[in-house]
Amino acid sequence: MKRTAYILSMLLIAFTACKKDNYDGPTATLYGNIYDAGTKTLLEQDIIRGSVVEIKEHGWENVQPQWLIFKVDGAYENSLLFENSYSVAPVRGNFIPVEPQDVRIAGRTQLDFSVTPYIRIVNPSITRNGNIVTATFSLQQQVTNNVRKIGLYAHSDFRVGEPLRLTAAEQEINAVTDPAHVYTLTIDLQAPNIRDILKPGKTYYFRIGALIDATESKPNYAKAVAFDL
Amino acid sequence: MQTYHKILTCLMVLLLFSCKSVLDLKPTDKILAKDLFGDPEGVKLYMANLYYQLPMEDFAFFRAGFNQNHQDPNNGGFAPAMVTDEAVHSEFGDFVGDGDFHWWDQGYKLIRDVNLLIDAIPTLDIIETERKKLTGESAFIKAFAYFALAKRYGGVPLIKATQQYTGDVEALKVPRSTEKATWDYVMELCDQAIANLEPGDGKSRRATKYTAAALKSRAALHAASVAKFWNRAPMSGTAVTDKLVGMTAADAAGYYTACIQASELIMQSGVFALYGATPASPEEAAENYRMLFQNPNGGDKETILIKGFTLPGNFTGHNYDIWYQPAQSANGWPHPGRMNPTLDLVDTYERYDRPGLASPVVTTTEGDVTDYGGYNPSLHYLQFDSPNDIFKGRDARLWGTAILPGTGWKGTPIIIQAGYVQPNGQAVIRTKAETTINGTTYYTYGAANTSQYSGFDSYGGNNTRTGFSFKKFMNQNAPVMAGWNQSTTDFIEFRYAEVLLNYAEAVVESGTGNAAEAAKALNDIRRRAAHTTAIPLTAAAVQRERRVELAFENKRFWDLIRRREFHTEFNNRLLHSILPLQDLRALPAVKYIFVRVVVPNSNPKTFAERSYYRYIPGIAGNGLVQNPQY
Repeated sequence: MKRTAYILSMLLIAFTACKKDNYDGPTATLYGNIYDAGTKTLLEQDIIRGSVVEIKEHGWENVQPQWLIFKVDGAYENSLLFENSYSVAPVRGNFIPVEPQDVRIAGRTQLDFSVTPYIRIVNPSITRNGNIVTATFSLQQQVTNNVRKIGLYAHSDFRVGEPLRLTAAEQEINAVTDPAHVYTLTIDLQAPNIRDILKPGKTYYFRIGALIDATESKPNYAKAVAFDL
Repeated sequence: MQTYHKILTCLMVLLLFSCKSVLDLKPTDKILAKDLFGDPEGVKLYMANLYYQLPMEDFAFFRAGFNQNHQDPNNGGFAPAMVTDEAVHSEFGDFVGDGDFHWWDQGYKLIRDVNLLIDAIPTLDIIETERKKLTGESAFIKAFAYFALAKRYGGVPLIKATQQYTGDVEALKVPRSTEKATWDYVMELCDQAIANLEPGDGKSRRATKYTAAALKSRAALHAASVAKFWNRAPMSGTAVTDKLVGMTAADAAGYYTACIQASELIMQSGVFALYGATPASPEEAAENYRMLFQNPNGGDKETILIKGFTLPGNFTGHNYDIWYQPAQSANGWPHPGRMNPTLDLVDTYERYDRPGLASPVVTTTEGDVTDYGGYNPSLHYLQFDSPNDIFKGRDARLWGTAILPGTGWKGTPIIIQAGYVQPNGQAVIRTKAETTINGTTYYTYGAANTSQYSGFDSYGGNNTRTGFSFKKFMNQNAPVMAGWNQSTTDFIEFRYAEVLLNYAEAVVESGTGNAAEAAKALNDIRRRAAHTTAIPLTAAAVQRERRVELAFENKRFWDLIRRREFHTEFNNRLLHSILPLQDLRALPAVKYIFVRVVVPNSNPKTFAERSYYRYIPGIAGNGLVQNPQY
């Protein structure tokens, strides 16, 4: 009994000895959306390996940047930032690069970006006819670079995209595209490599993407479409 | 009590003034620089240590770095080949991590050590030829070190001479040079080494003129490729605008020329030749190729620099034999069979009847080699008499590199079978099962228990999951010693075949130099593998040849890096296996069929473009510009 009391009192001392932390945690939030400056609509993104918002906190030498990711619809939010001023720019994206801007982040700070996407996917349509899923669309390039490839991506997760896919129908383009041309991509659900991956009775999401040939570019997308197979 | 305290205080005060140099004692277990370098034997000892520190990507090179061969170097046997398309691990699905393959602190430690030697060389009491040799060797070691840094980090701080600490830390901080300046410095150091070193025959384990030329050939090709292919994966950020990483296509020509000249120096020396250059049969070629790696010291004129693993034990032995032996010859070691060569690699080997053409392994009369959908009863599978007949007529080096299903190893047929097709046409695959037909029992894995087969059972992660086990570098003569650091197979750091391939690549990629000589280099290597029909020199042919000739020599990783092919080769990439099945429908005849599949229990791999460079460690302290996207 005496022994237990001794251990308990030692533990009490150990846990009251020092405060856990001297500093306050991060309190500030940065949030917003990325818009296509031409159409004023949200610019679709990837959830992994996509465009990122690069923020560099001021007041430090050789500071390590932080990167905030976008949701697939083009919204972003990070609520664990320290209150300070930062240089902020969306980088390595599916749009023409923009200059960083200085922003004071405190409380809930909203910052929207208005950018020109590399490619607009026009008149996208994804239809399913029996075992064949067909995507048709046209491309409006906003830069004169080549289009590297186009693709129809499928995944069981609604955040489907070029990096997050179970299967894809891709086509190498490597040329400047004609805005009048209608591209068609199809996925045969009964093809040998696909029938075991896209299983009947489940819901799958299909999304059209197009990748420009530019430094660190990411694909541009149309909205994903769901089918119950 | 008072008196005692007074006495103690007096004693303490006295001690403070008693002697001045009590802390200046010379350590008895360390040797002073002037004594070490004052003795030629000391220099030799010091040199041995420098060679030991060389970043050679040998049998002790793993993700955690170099010389992983002491105490308990347990990394699960995850070899660098397993982050390329050459192999998968029998269990792990890991890929290139940000923390893998670094060499920074150790790199600058080696550079400081060699700079100290360079300072001492003029003061040594040795004959001039010896002094020249030391100068050449130190340049070689420094070149080797900066090459290893440049290919990992791009442009790095160039510490060309020993730094002196004078109380100001800031003065010791050297900013990064551009990537081009770094590669140029590597070239310059190689040239110094070539100029100062005597020719040698590759038997010595120290650098010679030709070793330095081989290093230059390899480094120049890396630099040229980065320059030529930078635009396949361009990057942005401060490191790029400051040219700390990246070069322009215009820079490529100079490095290709440097590669051609360095390679020619070796090719025209008349000292080196391919081992077993004109075999009479593919069987002889396969055995020659295997022997070259089992005992490089018998490699005749092919070896340019060998690193020895002299004795079993810490720092001197390695662990290839325990990790990569097929399960059947594990000899008591609990975790063999980790290296599983992929079907993707096996597909790359040429067939003798289709010289120069891609020939993936065909398993059905339908012939669709892109079908990885698994066993399909409606397809017509080709039947074979043995589990390796399907690979007959394929490049000898396949047989020397991998243990194929049903081939012999250490006097035992290595059984690699994934299942069987029952007489009713239903397949039983990758499950432990047996069936008795007409009094004979058949097992899915080809034998009754785990000590009798080496494939596809997930038991202990000891079986191959690709259909192939590993042979290259493995010692067939001795049973496995079931303990750490017991293998003593030597490693060939530079060999003539690589120089020929560097030369062929530099000629074909640059469009300069002697194309006829380059085509001969390519075809000489193919002839050594028993190919008798010469093929034309093309960029694709050279790359295929590199993949098969240099497989598992830790070259593929850097080939994918320098040619900027990693992110396109590995974009949601699944690697592949072949499932050998016994077809019981054919009974009483013993027949096998094969199914091409995705590696069981594997996930797609994607290479992040930032991984073309490693991150610079410790930028908060050293103030260096970080590489892109870190």
